[in-house]
Amino acid sequence: MLSPAELSLLSRLDLAYRRPVSGLYSGERRSPRAARSPEFADFRPYVPGDDFRQIDWRAFARLERLMLRLYVAEEESSLNIVLDSSASMELGTPPKWGSARRLAAALALLGLAGMDRVAVGTLADRSRRTQFLRGKDGAARIWAFLEKLEPAGEASAPQLSQLDWLRPGMTVVISDFLTEDSWATPVAGLRRRRQEPLLWQVLAPDEENPTLAGDWKLVEAESERIRELTITPTLVDHYLAALAEHRAGIRRAAEGAGGRMLHTLSSDDLEHLMLAGMQTGVIRR
Amino acid sequence: MTWLAPLGAAALLAVPAILLLYFLKVKRPETRVASLLFWRPFVADRQANAPWQRLRSSWLLVLQLLAALAIALALLRPGVTGAAGIADTTIVILDGSASMQATDVGPTRFGAAVDQARGLVSQLPAGKQMAIVLLGQHAQLLSAPSGDPAVLMGALDRARPTAGEVDLGEGLSLANAVLTGHPNGSILLLGDGHARAPAAPPKLLAPLTYEQVGSTGENVGIEAIARTAGGTVFVRVADYGKRDRDLRLELRADGRLVDVLPVRVTGGSTADVTWSGLPNGAQVLEARLTPGDSFALDDTAWLVTGAPSVRQVELVTAENGFLQRALELRPGIKVTVVKPADYKPSKAYDLFVFDGFVPPGTLPSPALLVGPPQGQGPAPLGPGIAPGIVLPGTRGDPLLQDVVLKDVHVQVAGRATPPPGWRVVFGGADDPLLLASVGEPRLAELTFDIHHSDLPLRAAFPILIQNLLSYLMPGGFENQVYAPGRPVTLAAETGAKSVDVIDPGGRSTRLLPPFPPYSPATPGVYTVRQQLPDSVRVSRFVVDFADQALSRILPGPKPAVQVVDRPANRASRGVLELWPWLAAAALLLLAAEWFVFHRGP
Repeated sequence: MLSPAELSLLSRLDLAYRRPVSGLYSGERRSPRAARSPEFADFRPYVPGDDFRQIDWRAFARLERLMLRLYVAEEESSLNIVLDSSASMELGTPPKWGSARRLAAALALLGLAGMDRVAVGTLADRSRRTQFLRGKDGAARIWAFLEKLEPAGEASAPQLSQLDWLRPGMTVVISDFLTEDSWATPVAGLRRRRQEPLLWQVLAPDEENPTLAGDWKLVEAESERIRELTITPTLVDHYLAALAEHRAGIRRAAEGAGGRMLHTLSSDDLEHLMLAGMQTGVIRR
Repeated sequence: MTWLAPLGAAALLAVPAILLLYFLKVKRPETRVASLLFWRPFVADRQANAPWQRLRSSWLLVLQLLAALAIALALLRPGVTGAAGIADTTIVILDGSASMQATDVGPTRFGAAVDQARGLVSQLPAGKQMAIVLLGQHAQLLSAPSGDPAVLMGALDRARPTAGEVDLGEGLSLANAVLTGHPNGSILLLGDGHARAPAAPPKLLAPLTYEQVGSTGENVGIEAIARTAGGTVFVRVADYGKRDRDLRLELRADGRLVDVLPVRVTGGSTADVTWSGLPNGAQVLEARLTPGDSFALDDTAWLVTGAPSVRQVELVTAENGFLQRALELRPGIKVTVVKPADYKPSKAYDLFVFDGFVPPGTLPSPALLVGPPQGQGPAPLGPGIAPGIVLPGTRGDPLLQDVVLKDVHVQVAGRATPPPGWRVVFGGADDPLLLASVGEPRLAELTFDIHHSDLPLRAAFPILIQNLLSYLMPGGFENQVYAPGRPVTLAAETGAKSVDVIDPGGRSTRLLPPFPPYSPATPGVYTVRQQLPDSVRVSRFVVDFADQALSRILPGPKPAVQVVDRPANRASRGVLELWPWLAAAALLLLAAEWFVFHRGP
């Protein structure tokens, strides 16, 4: 699914969580719970009952007050990757499905490399998913799962709220987000479930900049609805304006839930995808 | 409104073609897209396309149809006789023929033509001139070229139609004369095509635009009325249109209704009615069709039933059968032939005709002298001349009414000089051949023996004699029937001081010596009151409209003319062409269509 060069690229990258996360197991992510670990977090006054081994004597010498030294707990996190496998994802030149699947594989690999528990599932069917897997050994199972997926059916924003397998951590939704219903409510629901949303929109170049012109009969892939149009430059302008407005709405939904949103093209190679992630701060070296 | 390029109407086929395209659905290629979310409906996509669909309301359709109509109308090159499009000098010719009194367009065809001319005058731009010519009994220049609307409006106020035929050739000749020296002119004929066109297409100095007035040819009229020897009245009713008509024929004797007869006449045919109920002593029988139609002039006809009073004519001649028979053609005339040797002055005659003889002493009057001996007569003849051809003296002389002189030749005549107060009726190249006095005493003199000419062999001869009788013989008009518009010589009785003519409408016209010809305009019974020294003599004559050609009121085509090729003519336009405005409107509509087509959803 990924070439050696791409794997080499990914080995130098890591996922950047915006919020500290807490997990059941120790990992490489910062935990909101202070714990003994090499990374200093803060001071607090000593109260009876505290472990006096945590008293910072150097601070006592300067301040003549007993202060406890607190440390950030580094624990494992969960990475939920939700992939839109609806019929619309196989459209575009090149098809969005290939780019979205490779992106899911790459992010899963990054998560596994960071000792996170990673699960991959589809947006439309909550039962089609992998178990939460750890370690780089999980990559083969995740990739095998992705290899078997074929785009079909319909996807909608409310389906995100029905995914009960998502765990606290980061939830990456990879989709074209070309739905008429609003993403604000489902994405806000992720925050309530202690998840940092990352909405990654993948569009084909001909969806980003339509090249159709003249008389066309457009058939919507998922609903089979038909619309006969005479596509003019003015109509394309209106299309682009509506796309930008729609994308802004998705971005507001993501940022409102403390997350981020980015968009790439199906024609982008993995390096460009990772660069886009780095620009957004989702991925770091 | 005129259509200068009627073939442009073919462009109107674009209208059903556009509608057809809207019924037809365009076959569009199909493609699958992820979402229609951003492809919002657009007005342009209400066009159609797969075989048929229901026509939907669409601004595009409306705009396209309007644009197609505007283009088609522009191709038709419509024109109105608008002031902005008329030439520098425009001659407006008003057709005043009888058929212009038809009321199929309001108020009458003539009224509509005058109104149209008024519209032109009101739009006359500065620097442009217009002249008004009326085709009446003769073409009349009502207004010379003028740019003053008040002058032109005043001329139009004076315009009146006739009840007879008019001569288009005269009007066009007059228009040519007016246009001489006026480059960039145009001639606008407002009429119904019934003005008598010249035999050959006349040459015009400016383009002619024909503005047809009138809409129908439906008309029923009385074509003929006569009385048989047995006293039965015969009336022929003609339907000049296409519709069958059920009418009534009202008969009035001396103004009193005496009978009403049903008449059914089919389109394009005639129906004959006979009636024998004429009361004894009736002088004039009036037949009237009811209900009337759009052309009233031929709905009424008159029959003079009263016998004209017998007039005594003394013909003094050695022998002249031609002259005697011509005199006897007139009803109510008794001709007494006397040899010159047997002539004795007498007052028992109403008219004296001296053929090759002049009585000694005072010449009795009224008198006609034919070829008097040399040196005798009121216009003494000199040495003989050989005039050859005969030419009319004064145009429109009533004595030459219906007299055709072009085939008449005179071999020998006597040279004469018109005495004071006389006029030349016709003559040779240099010398008079027929002289007539103006006023009392009524005298006329032919300066040649009719046997020395071919005049007696021509149809002109009996007509000329009848005209001379009407002029010379007192009361010669009584109970006669005339055509409208033709001058009638009301020869008064000797000693008459005045003559009052009362037309059918009750209007009175007083004529004083020498009693010029009277032109009756409208059909009907005219009453003539002669004021004699000791009494009043009342008589009547009838003017009857019986012209089948003019009763066929269906508007005719544009007369054939030739336009002299002058550079100015190519630039002149007799009409205001509307195609530039229509083309501009089409352009605007197409721009609007483009905007609607491309505007946002």
